[in-house]
Amino acid sequence: MKGHSKILIGILSFLFVAGMTLASNASAEDTIRIGWTADMPGVGATFYESQKKALELFFEETNAAGGILGKKLKLIIRDSKLKPDVGATMARELILNEKCEFLIGPTSSGVALAVTKVAKEFKKIVYFHTSNTEKLTTTDFQPYMFQVVPNTGIEGRGIAMFLSKKPYKRYCYIGPDYAYAHSQWDAFKKNLLKLKPDVQILKAVWSKLGETNYAPYIPTLMAKNPEVIYTSLWGGGLSSFIKQAKPYGLFKKSSITSLYDLDMMRATGKDMPEGLLGYTRCPFYAVNTLDMQVFVEKYHKKYNEWPSDWACMAYDGMIALTTAMKKANSDKSEDVVKVLGGLRYASLRGSRYIRAEDHMANVGLYVGYTAKDPKYKKFLILKDVVEVPAEKVWLPIAEVKRLQAK
Amino acid sequence: MNIEFFFFILINGLSQGMVLFIVASGLSLVFGVLRVINFAHGSLYMMGAFLAFSVSTLLNTESLFSFILLMVVVPPAIALLGLGLEIPLFRRIYGKEHLLQLLLTYALLLILDDVCRLVWGGDIRNVARPELLAGSINFFGQYLPTYNVFILVVGPLIALGLWLLLYRTRSGNLIRAAVTQPEMLGALGVNVATVMTGTFVLGCWLAGLGGVFMSALANIDLGVGMEKIIECFAVVVIGGLGSVGGALLGSLIIGLGVSFIQLSLSRLAIIFPYIAMALILIIRPWGLFGKPER
Repeated sequence: MKGHSKILIGILSFLFVAGMTLASNASAEDTIRIGWTADMPGVGATFYESQKKALELFFEETNAAGGILGKKLKLIIRDSKLKPDVGATMARELILNEKCEFLIGPTSSGVALAVTKVAKEFKKIVYFHTSNTEKLTTTDFQPYMFQVVPNTGIEGRGIAMFLSKKPYKRYCYIGPDYAYAHSQWDAFKKNLLKLKPDVQILKAVWSKLGETNYAPYIPTLMAKNPEVIYTSLWGGGLSSFIKQAKPYGLFKKSSITSLYDLDMMRATGKDMPEGLLGYTRCPFYAVNTLDMQVFVEKYHKKYNEWPSDWACMAYDGMIALTTAMKKANSDKSEDVVKVLGGLRYASLRGSRYIRAEDHMANVGLYVGYTAKDPKYKKFLILKDVVEVPAEKVWLPIAEVKRLQAK
Repeated sequence: MNIEFFFFILINGLSQGMVLFIVASGLSLVFGVLRVINFAHGSLYMMGAFLAFSVSTLLNTESLFSFILLMVVVPPAIALLGLGLEIPLFRRIYGKEHLLQLLLTYALLLILDDVCRLVWGGDIRNVARPELLAGSINFFGQYLPTYNVFILVVGPLIALGLWLLLYRTRSGNLIRAAVTQPEMLGALGVNVATVMTGTFVLGCWLAGLGGVFMSALANIDLGVGMEKIIECFAVVVIGGLGSVGGALLGSLIIGLGVSFIQLSLSRLAIIFPYIAMALILIIRPWGLFGKPER
């Protein structure tokens, strides 16, 4: 019995050591390893699927074209489970065990704030494509980070600016009753009233967090007869609100303004009313650049579906990252970080640059009105889209510096 | 507020209360006869809603017929599941101490919720309303969703059916007898265990039916079971544990209360069910229609 267990231990230790050697072989010098702390479960699932498709497309075509600096790219994915502590652990794991030199951020802003700390600790570059809290570029800024998604500040001030130029005067609000939504509404109200003092704020309706049944709230909004309903609802929650409110005739008189990303439009399908004013972060159908067109064609051919905003921006981040590697002529974060500030790259959205002070790409907000399009049978898109340029609404550098010093 | 808008809110609130009644009456009925507070009742309701979603994707039509099919098929499936739980598990805890009952039904809640998580995942789902019920009815210049009106018609029919069953049939007599005089019922040669099983299964059927209605009224996710069981508790505390009439009154109080309070004091509406429950517990702890514990 004893002899047996000794042999067993012997075999196991051999396998362990052999495994370790194999693992380190895999991280040999001919590949650039990029680790992604993805948010796979729950509300992250739909985002994850399309981000993954776009990233895999990028890695495939880049490697087929000979890689970057003569090296192949390799994508290693870990699940952050929408939890900041798990995200931090996974980021560490990707850097230490998987020898990743670069990181790709998650969907959740909470996880992103945890991941950026790990990236700072190990001096490895991470980019954020979907998680968009402004803190990443201000209070929690660290130089080994850049952001290619319009952040919460750009989004909030951008839509307020857009609305202030329109004739709408009567505003209502509906959102879940928790801290983030309250601060979002307060900020929007402040911005809007500053730009247009004669706006009337009629009513703020607070729903239960995670509410699925909006029937009791809808008549309250109807009673005030607003022109625009601003909301912190997004994604699935927004989709269910719109579906439930439509038969009440709410949208015959009022528009509801929020994030109309492609996944939300797809989830709502033909129930989406026409003529609602909304914004989105990177709509494939409204960005008229050759690069976007080529990307969309490739994506649609490979997956037989249209790329969501998240897919476009995850892909866009890789363009920026590889551009930086080529400019630095290095696949090491410590070299690449030196060229990040001010880097110009050929974004799907046209030529963009990364601002030196906060590593925020100058990506703006796309605003338009919902409409049917014969090309897309199952969902509505935004028409008459205009871009609110980031430069008009991102934080002034003095303010960025003040927040970063905190 | 003009009178048209008042009626509009009234109808909207009533239709909300009706769905609540269907689920809460099941909970109340089960407690009345079995003296067990079934924490897992909300989970059964949620399973009904998710099952309705799955069956509706199979049917893949938006005709009224397929929706009626959901109403016919799904509640018995949940009732069958209830039967599978009653015989091996619930039967052992009748008349036992409350802590034991609580442990069992709470454990079941956790298990059933996780089964839902495994089978249907965390996504938000809903059942498309049948075409005939998807639109709206013009009600004195206000638009009212046809589906809410449909619930408002079907809900009272179910309440009436339940009343007929309990007060006009032999099975109903047995159920009511089991509430007040279980020993005497047994002494008369009635198989009390069967009556109890039947009542439990009926309760589960109601939970399933509530789930079907809700699946097309609002969205469903993994939180709806817990949310509904809390509302149901508020309903039965207000109406009186064990009283189906009380469940009806309690549901309408909550449905209407939330709707009207929402209009002017939006944030108070969220906590209205709890305030109402607390008030009743202070003034009349056995509920409006209930009887003080023997």
